[in-house]
Amino acid sequence: MTQVFYGLLLYIFLAMPPVVDFLESIMILHMHMQMPMLVAAGFFIAPFFQKRFPQFFAKWNSDGVPGIVLFMIIIGYWSIPRTMDEALTLPSIEFFKFISLPFLAGVPLRDSWKKLGKVGRNMVLVALTILFIGMGLLYVISPVQLCNSYLVIDQFTLGWGFLTTGFGMVVYLIYALVVDPSKYEGIPPEDMSSSED
Amino acid sequence: MIKNSSNKIALILVLLFGCILFYVGTDGFHAFTAEAARVNRLVDEQPKFPDVTFEDSKGRTYSISEFEDKYVLITFLYTACTSVCPQLEMNMSQVYQQIPERYMGKDIVFLSISFDPTRDDPATLDKYKDYFKSDGETWRMARISNQAELDALLKAFGVIVIPDGYGNFTHNSAFYLVDKKGNLMDVMDYKKVDEAADKIVKILDREKGA
Repeated sequence: MTQVFYGLLLYIFLAMPPVVDFLESIMILHMHMQMPMLVAAGFFIAPFFQKRFPQFFAKWNSDGVPGIVLFMIIIGYWSIPRTMDEALTLPSIEFFKFISLPFLAGVPLRDSWKKLGKVGRNMVLVALTILFIGMGLLYVISPVQLCNSYLVIDQFTLGWGFLTTGFGMVVYLIYALVVDPSKYEGIPPEDMSSSED
Repeated sequence: MIKNSSNKIALILVLLFGCILFYVGTDGFHAFTAEAARVNRLVDEQPKFPDVTFEDSKGRTYSISEFEDKYVLITFLYTACTSVCPQLEMNMSQVYQQIPERYMGKDIVFLSISFDPTRDDPATLDKYKDYFKSDGETWRMARISNQAELDALLKAFGVIVIPDGYGNFTHNSAFYLVDKKGNLMDVMDYKKVDEAADKIVKILDREKGA
């Protein structure tokens, strides 16, 4: 349960007004630091809900698909340039960000990830990679300012952030495809992924 | 089996939630950027041009009532701008050339408003207007010296100006068409010159025909 505590601590830290102001003042910090950390906070808090409502997760997310789809929907939603802009100008959208990213993305991700097989996980990663590269190209190539609250140069930085992250994910996917860890480390591949708990 | 059907229901609910979320979040798949949403909202709400005092390139001061009973095509700029504004004004001059002369000055006036009043004094504006063959009469360039008035106008028309710290500004650009009663009537893409000109000429023709 210590990670629930740290998750909660991270969540409270991220919600502190000076931290919010700082992270949202720079576009790439807003999208690539604040938002993923909110998801991470939910990811850490997830065991609390899983222990509290084991029936709920077992019944409604038995194969992990509904949870991971919900995760992808929330991530997709926050990739729309408009939502990021409106989080800055509309308090209701900002509030929704602090609820949706940890509890509708982080928690289901934790619950679903274990239930998904290797293929399912890699499919999620492929989808995220496509999203990241697509967003990166959009921000780098787009001659128009997509967000009113940020400078075009910020948009550029964010675009390259997306592309480098996407590149990292491609490297991982290639690794996952061609490298068989059991050959090198003597660990059966199934044990690699189910080491958490 | 029961487990499985719950799982399916959950998946359907999640997908439904996703559709609703995206639908609401983008005004029914219309506005994916805040700029698009802003333009849609402005055209819906048709805000009134606030009461401000202009000082134009000839040093004359007046309010928006100077243009009563005339359409006004407005752009926002600052003369030290090296990126968007010259393009914006160049396009505005192309629209200007496409409006039949008989309407010019009588039924429609062009107005470029500077949001950098400290640097854009009448002399600077006077020089700047010549680059775009603005005559200073049917196409005027003006600043709003009172910061509070300027801010009120920018807010009403949703113009977002961010100083970049090096004396430049980042800002959203468009053609704003204000009707004869001083209400914002349309916001047009400044990159689509012909489309904007056609639209304006149509409005003016209709008025004359009626």
